[in-house]
Amino acid sequence: MKRIGLGGITGNPGAFAIVLGLMVLLLAVPLTHNGYVETVFRNILMYAAMAYGWNLIGGYTGYVSFGNVAFFGLGAYCSGVLAAHGVSNLFAYVALAMVVCAVFAVIVGFPVLRLKGHYFGIATLGVALAVADIIANLDVLGGSSGLAMHQLDEAHFSTYYYAMWLVALGSMLGTYFIARSKLGYAFVAIRENEDAAAVLGIAATRYKIIAWAISGMMAGSAGAIFAPANGFIDPSITFAVDSNVFPIVMTILGGSGTVAGPFIGSLLLAGANELLQRFFVKAHTLFFGAMIVLIVLLLPRGLVWLFGLRGGVRAWIKSVQVYRA
Amino acid sequence: MKLRPTAALGILALCATLAAPSVPVSAAGDTILFGSPVSLTGNLTKEGHLTQEGYELWKTYVNSHGGIKVGGKTYKVDIKYYDDESKNDTSAQLAERLIDQDHVNFLLGPYGSGTSFTVAQIAERKKMPMVEGNGAAEKIFNQGFRYTFGVLSPARRYLEGVLEMARAQKPAAQTVAITAASDAFSQEVAQGAAAWANAHGMKVVYNNKYPDTATDVSSIISALKQTNPDLILNAGHLQDALLVQKGLREQNVMARAYGYSVGPDTPDFANSLGKDANDVFGGAQWSDAVKYKGDPGFYHTAPEYAKAIMDTYHHRADYHNAESTAACLAFQYAIQRAGSLDPEKVRDALAKLDITTFYGIIKFDSRGLNLYKPMVVNQIQNGRLVTVWPTLTADGKPKYPAPPWGQR
Amino acid sequence: MHLLAQDLVNGILAGGILAVVALGFSLVWGIMNIINLAHGAFVMLGAYTTYQLFTSFHVDPFVSLPISFVLLFVLGYLIQRLLMNWIARAPLLTTFLFTFGLSLLVVNIALIVWSGDTRGVTTAYSGANFTLGDVTVPWAKLYTLLAALAITGTMQLWLVRSKTGRAIRATSMDIGAAQLSGVRVTEIYAIVFGLGAGLAGVAGTLISLSYSLHPTMGDLFLIKAFVVCVLGGLGSVQGALIGGLVYGIVEAFATQLDFTIGTQHISGSGLQDAIALIVLLIVLIVRPRGIMGKATA
Repeated sequence: MKRIGLGGITGNPGAFAIVLGLMVLLLAVPLTHNGYVETVFRNILMYAAMAYGWNLIGGYTGYVSFGNVAFFGLGAYCSGVLAAHGVSNLFAYVALAMVVCAVFAVIVGFPVLRLKGHYFGIATLGVALAVADIIANLDVLGGSSGLAMHQLDEAHFSTYYYAMWLVALGSMLGTYFIARSKLGYAFVAIRENEDAAAVLGIAATRYKIIAWAISGMMAGSAGAIFAPANGFIDPSITFAVDSNVFPIVMTILGGSGTVAGPFIGSLLLAGANELLQRFFVKAHTLFFGAMIVLIVLLLPRGLVWLFGLRGGVRAWIKSVQVYRA
Repeated sequence: MKLRPTAALGILALCATLAAPSVPVSAAGDTILFGSPVSLTGNLTKEGHLTQEGYELWKTYVNSHGGIKVGGKTYKVDIKYYDDESKNDTSAQLAERLIDQDHVNFLLGPYGSGTSFTVAQIAERKKMPMVEGNGAAEKIFNQGFRYTFGVLSPARRYLEGVLEMARAQKPAAQTVAITAASDAFSQEVAQGAAAWANAHGMKVVYNNKYPDTATDVSSIISALKQTNPDLILNAGHLQDALLVQKGLREQNVMARAYGYSVGPDTPDFANSLGKDANDVFGGAQWSDAVKYKGDPGFYHTAPEYAKAIMDTYHHRADYHNAESTAACLAFQYAIQRAGSLDPEKVRDALAKLDITTFYGIIKFDSRGLNLYKPMVVNQIQNGRLVTVWPTLTADGKPKYPAPPWGQR
Repeated sequence: MHLLAQDLVNGILAGGILAVVALGFSLVWGIMNIINLAHGAFVMLGAYTTYQLFTSFHVDPFVSLPISFVLLFVLGYLIQRLLMNWIARAPLLTTFLFTFGLSLLVVNIALIVWSGDTRGVTTAYSGANFTLGDVTVPWAKLYTLLAALAITGTMQLWLVRSKTGRAIRATSMDIGAAQLSGVRVTEIYAIVFGLGAGLAGVAGTLISLSYSLHPTMGDLFLIKAFVVCVLGGLGSVQGALIGGLVYGIVEAFATQLDFTIGTQHISGSGLQDAIALIVLLIVLIVRPRGIMGKATA
């Protein structure tokens, strides 16, 4: 498969620079003193962290997971349980979520990562749905009624924003450095040809489990901050279909297997959804669907691709035709 | 056109638009702006529309009768809506937008217990009074929220009326089977029904739940059939009611009465099932048979209200309409009594409110819950909805026991 | 004992419907490598086609089966030919993304056309049943199962015997070799996607007899289709049938589980999804390519 204009293993460097710049700008959001604007961007950062998580296993390692929401939900419930025991330190939330998600990934990974391609994808979906269903039936975790959490007051509410910003930045930089390390090359080797990678001495199972665990830690951290910021968790919120599908859609839309892609994808998708909702009260979901269909047809390789194109509109038209049957 | 700079500029422009400061919609000082996230798409679209109708009917009435008098000045009212796509977290986010971006004065609730709960949290944090008429789960009111008020009877009451009615008939129902969807509202309904039955000497012979995503409940019905109950209850939503009623019919399960927490009240139930919908009971927050005489300021009686809904929206007034309008009425009287638009003062006035409306008494306990309005029981008789319980309110007698399937 | 027999019957009857839902999804996925998230939306369109024909023209649902099939086939064929063909050579997930957008589009158009009202198709024989010993069998669901069996049988025969069917199977095995032997892949892809949509339409028609209609109804069935087609083995007709039946039976038997540990009530019916999914995981661990797939990965 040709990788036109995607740059090296981290993707287009220009796009990455722009994304880093944007992250710095986003630090200023709480200065607007508008809780709502903050929530919008906090959600974008949250989706970005989840998208980075998915990108590592789905984009870099080539194992398409439909179950990363399991980690998000587990992370959120880690916070919920800690909060119920009187702990209110956000670092503790994230730390526990990362440990639990990594352990969970390793335990589930051994049987599940043996599966190839689609079978892996569905097995992960099964894991996510089963976890959600079991939590919904456990009285200690509030069952389907969920858990309410104490929140910081309005004056200190931006703490959640900064925490989510850190989680997103960590996921982004983590992806960047992992991609450039031996680990990243092992992931890509597995994606391109698992058998050949094995011949080269890459212990595929071990690297897949590592990718899956780090992926889970990113999604879990996002969940751990989401829980107190939302103030309430239940299985339908923390294991929502949206939280499962959106990060995948965002990564592909931005450009999977790149460092800039997941962030650009989350910004565009969550941002567009927000604006459509604001201006088209009834038809916004309709337009949202139409927008995705159009973007896919016009930019089959994701938005980051746009940054790698040289030569303007003509080059773009030419490049789109490559994918026609 | 160079693509790279264009793309970068596009992203920056998007960020700037998202973060742009807002212009309040009601810049004019003579309008009270309410805000509500309602379900206009997604699986609660129908209920969301009924909610919106209830709000709009009130708005039209108030504005055509001069508006609301607040401390000597008269205000018109307006309501800003967003579509929460029937999703809990979206609803909360939209509530935040209504408060921070659109600068609404007060919040009217969304549709559903899950959404009402998440919105209540935002209301609490932003110290913004909200009156809701469509979230019956009691957990909303057990969190110590100060700013959320519910005009409806709580979830656990939904099937009490059916139980009470069936127990008073001859031959009295003595055994009960309960099936419930797994969501928080349905679970509270089921717990309430089981507790009432046990406390009143009835025997719960079967009580089980199923996932609210179930597409087939036939095995639950097979298990329930074996216990041979006098009364079969389902705690769930419209889709559950249809699934269970079809299943009971298919497996020929005979009981003296069948009761649903939600379903029979919506015309969709009878439209979908035809004759098989006949003779079932449903708990309802309100019906056009209730006999209250409302305080001045709005339609006084249930029939007057029902006529207004029929004239405006061309369908029978549903209790979702009525409870939504009632939420608006609570605000109307509270604002008048507070004599101010100050959120704190209106909140205090809401807490002290004690009014009678076409919908019933609106008065809140310390948790913000309206425990002073009883529920009614409706029955579908020959395709028509008849209120059969409590007897003082009823405009018909319950048909009991139900005839065999195929003869309804 | 008789409850177990009744559950077996319930499970088989429910599984037949799931098999048809999964069949089209599985073919498109197995042959074209497209995860069609719009499959649920197509199921919904099939159900509304039946509803519309039934209420406006009193067409019996079983008579409307071929109509649903043809309408949805044409829709699927055109979508592949006119739109998805543009991204046929893009990576797998590009088409996934496309169908995600498509699904939102279709569901929301349906919401405008048919509104959010819940609807049902109630025929003269809805709810009619007969008893075999202690076991009650509803006629409508039995007809549905028979239709499901007939549809899977016809599909299998057609794929094996007909010229187009053979070309489809050849394409799924080795696209390059198929092209060399004169198979027009663009046309084959359009036919397969049309077939997937058509089968979704048929599934929608069958579902309309036992489940109520709402524009968002497809989502619940889509998730089950995912699991069923992998349980049985991707791209395989028998696989979809076996997967559907196993899924239905497991869910039905799960309902019997009912006990309490300490204060925690374990309700098998409350956990029926989790139980079915754990069965899926165990099957995949033992047979990584599903029940009907080859034993090794």
